[in-house]
Amino acid sequence: MKIEFTLNGSLAIVEAPARISLLTLLREYLDLTGTKEGCGIGECGACTVLLDDRPVNSCLILAPQVGGRRVTTIEGVRGPDGGPNDLQRAFIDYGAVQCGFCIPGMVLSGEALLAANPRPNRKEIRTAIAGNLCRCTGYQQIVDAIQATALRRREKP
Amino acid sequence: MTEKQFVGRPATRVDALEKVLGTARYVDDYHLPGTLVARALRSTLPHARIISIDVTPALKIPGVRAAITSEAFVNHGRFGYPVQDMFMLAHERVRYAGDALAAIAADTEEALRSGLQAIHLELEELPGVFDPQAALSPQAPLVGERPWDSPDLPRGNLLNRYVVRKGEPEGILAGCEVRLDEEYSTMHQEHAYLETEGALAVPWPGKNGVTVYANCQSPFLARGNLVQTLGLLQENVRVIQPVVGGAFGGKDDLMYQTTGQVAKLALLTGLPVKMTFSREESIIASYKRDAMQMHIQLGSSPDGTLRAGQIHAVVDSGAYAAITPFTAWRSSIHAMGPYRYEACHVDVDVAYTNNGYSGAFRGFGNTEVCAGIEQAVDELAYRLGKDPLEFRLHNCLRPGDTTPHGQVLGEDVALAECLEQVRKISDWERKRSAIQSAQLQAVIPGEIRRGLGVAAVFHGMSLGAEGADFAVSTLAINPDDSLTLTSGLTDYGTGSRTVFTLIAAETLGIRPDRINMLRPDTDTAFDSGPTVASRSTVMGGNATRIAAMRLDSLLMQAAADLFDCQMVQIIRHGENFVSPDEETVPFEQVVQHARSMGLTLSAQGRWDAPENYWSFEKGQGKPYFAYHFGAQVAEVQVDTGTGKVEVTGFWAAHDTGTVIFPQGALGQLYGGITQGLGYALMERVDYDQGYIQATNFDEYLIPTSLDVPEIVGVFVEKPFTPGPFGAKNIGEPGMIPTAPAILNAIFHATGRRIRNLPANLERVLLGHDLRKEGSNMACKLGLQSTGD
Repeated sequence: MKIEFTLNGSLAIVEAPARISLLTLLREYLDLTGTKEGCGIGECGACTVLLDDRPVNSCLILAPQVGGRRVTTIEGVRGPDGGPNDLQRAFIDYGAVQCGFCIPGMVLSGEALLAANPRPNRKEIRTAIAGNLCRCTGYQQIVDAIQATALRRREKP
Repeated sequence: MTEKQFVGRPATRVDALEKVLGTARYVDDYHLPGTLVARALRSTLPHARIISIDVTPALKIPGVRAAITSEAFVNHGRFGYPVQDMFMLAHERVRYAGDALAAIAADTEEALRSGLQAIHLELEELPGVFDPQAALSPQAPLVGERPWDSPDLPRGNLLNRYVVRKGEPEGILAGCEVRLDEEYSTMHQEHAYLETEGALAVPWPGKNGVTVYANCQSPFLARGNLVQTLGLLQENVRVIQPVVGGAFGGKDDLMYQTTGQVAKLALLTGLPVKMTFSREESIIASYKRDAMQMHIQLGSSPDGTLRAGQIHAVVDSGAYAAITPFTAWRSSIHAMGPYRYEACHVDVDVAYTNNGYSGAFRGFGNTEVCAGIEQAVDELAYRLGKDPLEFRLHNCLRPGDTTPHGQVLGEDVALAECLEQVRKISDWERKRSAIQSAQLQAVIPGEIRRGLGVAAVFHGMSLGAEGADFAVSTLAINPDDSLTLTSGLTDYGTGSRTVFTLIAAETLGIRPDRINMLRPDTDTAFDSGPTVASRSTVMGGNATRIAAMRLDSLLMQAAADLFDCQMVQIIRHGENFVSPDEETVPFEQVVQHARSMGLTLSAQGRWDAPENYWSFEKGQGKPYFAYHFGAQVAEVQVDTGTGKVEVTGFWAAHDTGTVIFPQGALGQLYGGITQGLGYALMERVDYDQGYIQATNFDEYLIPTSLDVPEIVGVFVEKPFTPGPFGAKNIGEPGMIPTAPAILNAIFHATGRRIRNLPANLERVLLGHDLRKEGSNMACKLGLQSTGD
């Protein structure tokens, strides 16, 4: 079937079977491999994308469900110069990245939080990323990066 | 030494940018046209004789391109280190539920699934053995085969035995006024790397060779196994490491089996073949941290001086040896903890069973025994009425002391400093005095109780006396004046590529961003032994430093020629070279001059670990050239009505020598502590009659961001002379003392000792398990129906 949706700000029209997941659509049909599969059952958050600005596990969404809606993947998170945005830069600077497999999902959960709550405390940040498993970092530097970005965005509205 | 420009300062991880942008390519992100999908058929029985495997019905299914069994490999694909007891696909016998029997490559997922279902399989179930103690009985069914494994140890399923002998503890123990005699156990632990196993094999034109991209830990081991089991020449096998999504010790043996299967299928079909594990297949098929049972006896004088100890441990190696003999040896070395004893004996038995199989996992061997000895030492402190931290300070190893295995230590011992530091930063004395040690009977159910616990660690660095221990790095200046750095060691998320880059930059006095550190590729890097056992910073770091020093001396030679002066007269200022007449010349100009002199601007550095030795018969020696030391304090809050334990605070002080990459070192520490927290409280791999009970993250729980407290980590940077810029390693030690620190805190809070890991709700609340034996929830082995 034909699926039409807004992908990272542009219109996407894809011919794909109706029974595949959004994750498969992104990875196999659109070659957007930044979105990862970690468990396939919505437990690990590695496949997190934004659907109409809200974080979802793309392994649990059927591809046709995104018809007419807005999807943001990690490939759509960029700074004005096409490089990393301020949150991604903070992930680098605060040492929040190790193996990196969870990072695309973490960045999207972080962006969704900052859009909804520009003044999160550390507990709120931890709650926002509780659906994103990370086996390497112990989460602390990820929380640092999101917190620092929140502070910086408040300084420069 | 002059002020350092890069080492020890905030730095940018070399692969962080591509990872935050989502452009880093992990193996499953490689899409080549015409790639076949592959999967293995896995056994649903834990122990069976293979009567026949007929793959011809599968080959008749449209879209199935190739199907293989062990017959497809040289000598049935036998491989393994140190014991050659595994096969690329099971041969003659199935040894665990999940053992790979056959593998198929097909055009589509649908054809693959139909093909796996069509394989005609005849298995004769054999009685299994699932308890490692029972496995040692002469009557137990044999898991292994003779004479391939443990030829000299013909007792039941005993795979090996390791001993440590210092004096005669028995008599001393009998005379000790305060004694402890307890049993402890640890469970298997799943690595749970977020990226599951995967490999892509690309055959060469003419099918005479193969390139494999695999998320394994040690590409050179993968190549060696491919050469051995495929019958190819070494130059016809190339293994390239893509970005790896975590390993923690878990991407060795199983990955070599997987690379063998995809390489064979690619050679047969002449097409690229990719295999990516589902999470269920990953958990069912992969090896785990070994489970261990420990019987510990300790004796002390009334003033709190540890005098003697005896430990007997049994390690469950499961179906195959993998690296477990090495694990068990490491256990024996570290079993008594970082303390002084007049005498001690350690015996560690390794047993085959039909439970999955065990292998390396962060701190392998030491993480398990530390959970035992650090609880035992704690219990003894309470029996003596001593503060547990003070008791450790009184008995801990200090410079010049002799370890429990008879090694005289040098000056690089900072355990007392670590204990003092962690006491200070955790506010130990004030907090402990504010909490009255709980008496079990006096706890009112439903009461929220707090507690503080401590644990210490010492950890031998690198491989120790078990193997040849060296690393090789290369550095070359490219035509565009950038540099290329290689190492045979893998960065699977640890940050070693950044550490090596910083070491090279510091040594050469050039900016780190000039250097491109490659990921290992067996055609461009040199074998540096396996990437395990916290080897990278010291082994690979020293090799890199030597390569950089050699390259630097070439550049200094060129600069001296350019300035017409002696090398010692040249001063470095940033990247510039300054002559005695204060003429300043940039790096590029010196490089250009070196080229005009005909100098070859590349260098190789090799570093061999200082000598160590071990007598396996006498149980004495100098097993490691140096040790890492550390101490951790956990603060817990226990709901005595439900048994729920929350870790509310965590402090760690580790003797890392000079820290090279601060954000990376802290990340290793935080991440290690988090895995230790999971090990202590929630991670539980149950093998019920050989069937694993949790197969995905809905049942196998690992810590989330809400389970981990804010961690305070400090490094005691006592420079370690043989390390690069004085550095020691950090990969494993962060995890090792975490579980016992938490268990000791639970005891402080509740008065209950949880001697069996993990401390889940029922054990904390009731002191025993509720789970009934022989539950009927077998693992989900219908793997062919799970992928999509």
